Amino acid sequence: MSVKVAASGASPAGSLRSRWVALWPDLSPDLPRFLLAIGCVPLISAMGAAQPALMKRVLDGHVVPGVAEGLWGAACLYLATVLGSFAVEGVYTIALSVAAERTIYRLRQRIVTHTLGLSQRFFERQPTGQVLTRATSDVDALSEALSQGSISILLDVSNMGAVLLAMFWLDHSLTLALLALAPPLIAMIEFFRRRMRVLFTQVRDALAALNAFTAERLAGVEVLQLYRQEERTQARFCALDAAHRDANVKNNIYDAALYALIDGISSMCVGLMLYWGGRQLGVLGPGGDDVVSVGLVVAFVDYIDRLFRPLREFSSKVTFLQRAGASLEKIFWLLGVDQRITPGSVELPPSSPGRLVLRDVRFAYRSGGEEQDDILKGITLTVEPGEVVAVVGRTGSGKSTLVRLLARVHDGYRGSIEVDGVELREIAPASVRKAIGTVRQEVQLFTDSLYFNLTLGEPVDAARLNDALQLTNAQVLVDRHPDGIEQPIRERGANVSSGEGQILALARAMVRDPTIVILDEATASVDPLSERLLQEGIERVFARKTCLVIAHRLSTITRADRIVVLDAGRIIEVGTHPQLIALGGAYAALYEQGFEARTLPAG
Amino acid sequence: MPLRVPPLPPLPFPHLRRFSSRYVAPRWRWYVAGTAAVLLTNWMAVRIPVELAFGLDALRAGDSQSPVTTAAVHIFALGAAIIVVRTASRLWFFTPARLAEFDLREDLFARLLRLQPDFYATHRTGDLLSRATTDITFARAFAGFATLQGANIVAALVTALGQMAAFSPLLTVITAIPVLLGFVVVRGGSAALMTIQRTTQKQQGLYADELLGALQGISTIQAFNVEGPFGERLAERARLLRDNNIQLARLRALVFPLFTVSGGIAVFMLLGVGGSMVVDGEMTAGQLAAFISLVTYLIIPLRLLGFLLPVFHRAETSLERIHEMFDAPVSRPELDAPPSTLGDPPRSGQPPAIVLKNLSFSFGAPEGSAPDVRGAAPVLRDVTVEIPAGTSLGVFGRSGSGKTTLLRLLARLENPPAGSITVDGVDLCAIDLDQWRARMVLVPQTAWLFSETIAENVAMGLQADLKQADLKQADLKQADLLPSAIADAALGPDLEALPHGLGTVVGERGIVLSGGQRQRVALARGLVYARSGLGAAPGRGAGKLLLFDDVLSAVDHHTEQLLIHTLLGSREDVRPTCVIVTHRMSALQHCDRVLVLDAGRAVQYGTHVELLAQPGIYRDAWDTQAGTT
Repeated sequence: MSVKVAASGASPAGSLRSRWVALWPDLSPDLPRFLLAIGCVPLISAMGAAQPALMKRVLDGHVVPGVAEGLWGAACLYLATVLGSFAVEGVYTIALSVAAERTIYRLRQRIVTHTLGLSQRFFERQPTGQVLTRATSDVDALSEALSQGSISILLDVSNMGAVLLAMFWLDHSLTLALLALAPPLIAMIEFFRRRMRVLFTQVRDALAALNAFTAERLAGVEVLQLYRQEERTQARFCALDAAHRDANVKNNIYDAALYALIDGISSMCVGLMLYWGGRQLGVLGPGGDDVVSVGLVVAFVDYIDRLFRPLREFSSKVTFLQRAGASLEKIFWLLGVDQRITPGSVELPPSSPGRLVLRDVRFAYRSGGEEQDDILKGITLTVEPGEVVAVVGRTGSGKSTLVRLLARVHDGYRGSIEVDGVELREIAPASVRKAIGTVRQEVQLFTDSLYFNLTLGEPVDAARLNDALQLTNAQVLVDRHPDGIEQPIRERGANVSSGEGQILALARAMVRDPTIVILDEATASVDPLSERLLQEGIERVFARKTCLVIAHRLSTITRADRIVVLDAGRIIEVGTHPQLIALGGAYAALYEQGFEARTLPAG
Repeated sequence: MPLRVPPLPPLPFPHLRRFSSRYVAPRWRWYVAGTAAVLLTNWMAVRIPVELAFGLDALRAGDSQSPVTTAAVHIFALGAAIIVVRTASRLWFFTPARLAEFDLREDLFARLLRLQPDFYATHRTGDLLSRATTDITFARAFAGFATLQGANIVAALVTALGQMAAFSPLLTVITAIPVLLGFVVVRGGSAALMTIQRTTQKQQGLYADELLGALQGISTIQAFNVEGPFGERLAERARLLRDNNIQLARLRALVFPLFTVSGGIAVFMLLGVGGSMVVDGEMTAGQLAAFISLVTYLIIPLRLLGFLLPVFHRAETSLERIHEMFDAPVSRPELDAPPSTLGDPPRSGQPPAIVLKNLSFSFGAPEGSAPDVRGAAPVLRDVTVEIPAGTSLGVFGRSGSGKTTLLRLLARLENPPAGSITVDGVDLCAIDLDQWRARMVLVPQTAWLFSETIAENVAMGLQADLKQADLKQADLKQADLLPSAIADAALGPDLEALPHGLGTVVGERGIVLSGGQRQRVALARGLVYARSGLGAAPGRGAGKLLLFDDVLSAVDHHTEQLLIHTLLGSREDVRPTCVIVTHRMSALQHCDRVLVLDAGRAVQYGTHVELLAQPGIYRDAWDTQAGTT
């Protein structure tokens, strides 16, 4: 696979930070909610850290010395902090989740709006599945990180800080002794974190490869079956799946070990603490006031648990963050793609006649960042209002490219294309659509009603819709189904034949009543019988319109006012059918080769 | 009156049980070892508070240092041992879960490859994909996470509760009350959570479908400048998703912390009641301290229990969706002994003779699905035609007249009614599908290419060594079938124009190529297939049935005239049997016979010259194409 995704792997910490900064426009409207959540953090930490200390007060103040009086009162104080932190945590979680969801919603919209505006060059290189992943899985990963990662790590840090403070306050020397364990612990976690980061990338890549393979093979399963590729495909699938499994099994080892290490070490700390208490016992003798008390040990066991609990979940939170970091990287790579058709701003007057002028138009495709040879090598052509111009030529002569330029699918042409004296790329999108209607070689249908496929979600005048249906004989398709215009179109037009698709595509263009119509081999796979009906309608409408047709059919070509013969990106002949036949050049040769069959039998 | 035995209620979680018996149970050794490790871990974890109680009481007595030190050393050693045993327990549950996931995925994919187009017609690819990806992870979560935590919870309850009861049965009951209440509340809450979560998943799926549709139709959206309405449609879906997620978060914020609260209440009760007991001398301060840490220890697995039930339910629904694919009928006959009447193509080298007898066919709207354009109306009605071995039939007719369906029936992509199509006198439905596909090739109207190089796409047609996972570069070069097929499919000029020629990666669904180029690559692939493998005379598709659906629309008329003879094998000693669907009458006239279909009926049949001599669709169309009307 040669598709390039954003460079992953070695990425400096600074760029990660800047990626989070790039999220600011989506975050900022919910800043009050985020701030409220952050505001709850110290309260939660304080109440949490107070609980073991209050427990110690009950134990050392009442239980151990045997003072029953005030025992329940002190216990109730403990209960108050428990209930209090429940309330504040509720506020914190809700504020954070709502803010995160709203942020995610805005980001999703930003991705969609941006992506829908990207040029075809981008989509030719980028599998739709990958783009889809940006707005779904990657955004979901970010959502997880926002609600369960970032600020919750802040909460963890705050909690740990509060716990350490309380520990110092209760017994600073014991705390210091325990803290001596911190550096090796931190080093160990850092080792695991690094190791797991590498493994996580492996797991992610293996899964992506597996899913991409599965998606494509499922979509093309019919071809695999026709060509008896089942076993070969299965073997390739298993190899990918095994790589995925092995990466995961390896990752599991580190994951399990880290979890168990933190668990075990917190127990070992309890042992150390008891040992420390025993040592002090020896130093200070029995009954001394400074002996490590029962309450202190209980409180410290609780504190150690509170210190380690975040560490235990730290790996999963770090995973959230790493996943989100990787996702953010990809999302902002997509958002940073600047291959857009820059919309123009000039409005054409409503009564624009539709005169199309091409001057020395040149165009080259780009492949792997390199400019290829020109496909169009200087096309100069004027199509007068109401004129029908047919473009003919062999495969690869540049016909389809010409249509793509006129449909504004590709930008970056040299020379000029003018509609009624205004450069095409400077015309406002709405005006372009009003001026030029395109029927592409391939019909794209959406999984929705027939009505939606004609209107594409825009309000459409009923009378005009009706005209378009009658004109293109799409009415026949409407009438054939009990649900009429509301009939469903299945995924990728599975219940529409290619001929029917062409009729729908024509109707779709006509619904918008454009001034200029571009037809790209649209009639090629419509059967001759439907085509005849279709062309009757087309001619009626096109009589008043500028029209550029690319067709192989003699019937279409001969009806054109002018025929333009393209060869290797250049116009080599222009004229009417009889003129060009008389000329005896390339067109005549095409005609002889292409239509010779018709002259054979006597009808 | 006869005694009516009430039917036994079905056992819960049928799909989990089915999955377990097939994929989990065979790995029982892992789980036995894992369970042992879990038990050991919990036993050690419960020993720690006991040692602590002992040490604390010794500390308070202040008699001597040694019992305190002993307890401390024990705790330290237990902590160290826990590291090893807990790691092992997690691995011994997670690893078999991964292996089970792998096997299930592999079986599922194999199944998907066997399921026929009738299945794919009623299932969206996106949905199938999410079953093969997301749903499988839930099955794994059950086999790994859920089994581990299940074992963990049972072990923790048994060991910790036992120890607590040994300290004080009264305190154990007092603590259990708030914890149990908390558990009941969380149980109820998580049921509500699951309902919302299911809605979320559905909405995520709908959003992804909507977005995928928009991305696939992006050039139309841009050409019609309707980015706005499409963006708004997506925004509407995203809003629903967002609001549902917020609802989910609100409920979650309430439900799960309740567990922590119930634990806090339990500690409060311990401090009050247990504290009083210590004051009264009924238990030692060390025992109370140990009790407190046991309760804290028990809270964690109990909290996980709240997560566990959703995992079971989610895995059950996911597995139901997965099993649906295993249970869907594969509409191809699985024959123990293929009929011998089919002959041995490699030796006979004879192309098949086809007879269609009263062939009627309708897609028949599958149950529960919305009626579509085709509906249940017959696509083919009573078609009877004979295609003798080694002859060609051209099929002509307007859009929707049933031409493509006819080819799909011959290729058995759809199943014809029994007896309506016979091959060399044998019912097509009775022929082993793999054997049949080896003798025929269909080049479909819409070219489907895989995102690999052109060479790999074309070489897919090579029938040699189909078990090999990848064709090596050397194989590609040796395959001298490729150059001739590429030349015959008129792909040569395209390759010269492409930056990397045969090595050009065609992109998803061949997006890098034009529609015509894609069609020509698919044609080259079909030609390679026809000329390789069983029944092929050296380099030619002689012994086969060749089906071409509108492939000529991809080439200009000059190429068409060259290609038609290649397709029909006109210049071969032994010609293949050939069915060509095309609108081009210039090509049809080279076919031995032409069949004209109209609304599924065979309205005209004969040679090109015969059909032109009679009034009808064919002659009308000829006049139109010749431009004489």
